[in-house]
Amino acid sequence: MGTSRNVERRTILKAAGASAAVLGLGATTACGGDSGSGDGTVTIRYSWWGADERAKKINQTITLFEKKYPKIKVKTDFQDYQSFWEKFQTQAAGGNPPDVFQNAVGFLRKYDKRGILLDLNSQVKAGNLSLDHFRAGVTKVGEVDGKQLGVPVGSNTMALVIDKKVFEKAGVDPQTGWTWDEYFKALKTIHDKTKIAGDTGYFSIMYLYDLYLRQNGKAFYTKDGLGFDKADLTEWWQDGYSRVKAGIVTDPKIVAQDQPKSSLSSGHAASEFTWDNFTVRYSAEGTSTYGLGPIPTTDGTHTGQYLASLMLSASARTAHPKEVAQFIDFMVHDPQVGKIMGYDRGILASTEQYAAFQPTDPVSKEIAQYEDDTAKAGVLGTITPHPSGADTIEAAFLRIGGDMSQGKTKVSDAVKQFFSESEAAFQA
Amino acid sequence: MGTAVTLVKDSAPAARRAHPAAPATLRRRGRRENLAGYLFMSPWIAGFLLLTAGPMVASLYFAFTDYNLFNTPKWVGLDNFTRMFDDPRWQKSVEVTAKYVVIGTPIKLLLALGVALLLAQSRRGQAFYRAAFYAPSLIGASVSVGFVWRSLFSDGAIVDRTQSFLGFHVGGWVGNPDWILYSLVALTAWQFGAPMVIFLAGLKQVPRELYEAAEMDGAGPFRKFWNITLPMISPVLFFNVLLETIHSFQIFGSAYVVSNTQCGPADATLVYTCYLYQQGFKNAQMGFAAAMAWMLLLAVALVTAVLFWSQKKWVHYEEDAR
Repeated sequence: MGTSRNVERRTILKAAGASAAVLGLGATTACGGDSGSGDGTVTIRYSWWGADERAKKINQTITLFEKKYPKIKVKTDFQDYQSFWEKFQTQAAGGNPPDVFQNAVGFLRKYDKRGILLDLNSQVKAGNLSLDHFRAGVTKVGEVDGKQLGVPVGSNTMALVIDKKVFEKAGVDPQTGWTWDEYFKALKTIHDKTKIAGDTGYFSIMYLYDLYLRQNGKAFYTKDGLGFDKADLTEWWQDGYSRVKAGIVTDPKIVAQDQPKSSLSSGHAASEFTWDNFTVRYSAEGTSTYGLGPIPTTDGTHTGQYLASLMLSASARTAHPKEVAQFIDFMVHDPQVGKIMGYDRGILASTEQYAAFQPTDPVSKEIAQYEDDTAKAGVLGTITPHPSGADTIEAAFLRIGGDMSQGKTKVSDAVKQFFSESEAAFQA
Repeated sequence: MGTAVTLVKDSAPAARRAHPAAPATLRRRGRRENLAGYLFMSPWIAGFLLLTAGPMVASLYFAFTDYNLFNTPKWVGLDNFTRMFDDPRWQKSVEVTAKYVVIGTPIKLLLALGVALLLAQSRRGQAFYRAAFYAPSLIGASVSVGFVWRSLFSDGAIVDRTQSFLGFHVGGWVGNPDWILYSLVALTAWQFGAPMVIFLAGLKQVPRELYEAAEMDGAGPFRKFWNITLPMISPVLFFNVLLETIHSFQIFGSAYVVSNTQCGPADATLVYTCYLYQQGFKNAQMGFAAAMAWMLLLAVALVTAVLFWSQKKWVHYEEDAR
């Protein structure tokens, strides 16, 4: 009886496998084979990551595009961030990535190294895509070794997202140019007065440590490796650990329990370092009022900030580079598209779209104000290079920093582990 | 032989029929029948070669290479294997899996045996109860049940509230690194139906006379269970232990879904296959992932061997008694 159960299970599995293979073959020919038809209509595949809200907006913009270009059809696909990149990697390895897709700076070198990304400069020269009319310097984010691998749709910059109500209650009012000492003092004040931890765990956020390093003449990455040494990180994490112990940073266990929500929007912390456009998400998630505060500095002026961005990239294997370029051009320049998308993917990157969208809700207004102030303060520098593997390293920094702060790993072991995982990620 | 020839269809050429080559015809017929047989089996053979044997050979090769899905695999010898032992996350995944196997399997089997003992007695409606207890093991491995489990054990969900009502303030298990693994143990334990059915079959085989004899000697229910039932069903018990242990080592779906694909929080549900998946499909370290897969095979083989060896000590086959 038992054996028969076993055999049955195996047989069924195999049968399932065989049918899956047949279906799989069918599916491949269905979508890979025919993307252009007799009447000159071309189909391009477009995928991105994000929530349903973003998908709704993007679908509206695609309707506009298909109206303007009736000969181009767009097939869409979206997932959450993690699943998107897992799927993308598999598709790309199989030689079947989407023709055009959302991209971020951490992935440019990785997929350039693997020959997946189309250098859009040729399409710019051919007149299918314009890199003019962008807000100052933002197209640089998509540039690697002279190749234009992505065109920004929106820009964002690191900020301190704060729970305004808690900050008010504690009487803390962060000022532009405040120092790290002042910042940590503020966390203590908040904790003393409101019993809420000040921060969600600043020490394991790669993009924040990058700013700190930049303030001190270093950076998280050089062109091909880490831009800091074990002693730097040991000090950074040791301080972080003692602040968790002191209660001014949220208990990492609670941070883990709050996931996928942030401890800030869950009411377990008064602030968090993240991208400024995340305020939109936290305002939707949490019950308090959220605003933006300045990044602490080492010398009283320099925050080390830069503009990062979400981009559109094209596959080097696309059969329709011209249509893909026209699609990107429309999506980044068309004012209507800007109006629909708003600040969902950051402050609109092209001047046409930036002018077309007038934020009316307080959150969007605050983000616009923040980026405006940051730009005017003259603190924006050139973006830190992101070598291949930066995405894996960002995740490792967060994970190992979290383990360390729970006291599960000694600081010295955590640092060692991070360096060895980084080494593997650079080589992968 | 003559009959065999007459059985051959007369469509065979006359020249051949005249030729005294009966063995050849036979062979041809046999071959033709074989061919038909293979033709019928071809979907499975193709499936086996393409989807099992081929990938296995490839994975064995990749296990000794540095391969990121995009490059040409580079031979690195045993590097991937030696790297595992220096990798704290690999150690963590072994620890989590071992914990799951050691805690989950006995609980599941005890439940299966206990319920089987209750259902083995003839009472009204036993067929209904058997079906009812078996049902979870039919659907338990599905992704949707994983989602249900995640909802049951989240903050503010039914388990959390029941606990709070009873005075335990643990919160949702799913978000708590100290508890989430036990929600997976609960999920596997809930699927005790399959081993239960096997236990039931085993219990039916125990001769009634043995119990009657024991009762004559004044044995109580516990002694009857310990001295008759357990030894008599020990081969079935052995089979279930083996099957469920191997099965537990392969846990993936429930850990992946219940932890919302993160195998966390804080790596609390980083079971072996989950880490394998992360290394392979997230970090594109396919060589390392392949090596991990073969290491798992070795480990399962070793545990199986130990279990087989231990049979001598506790499994009682009827032939031995004679």
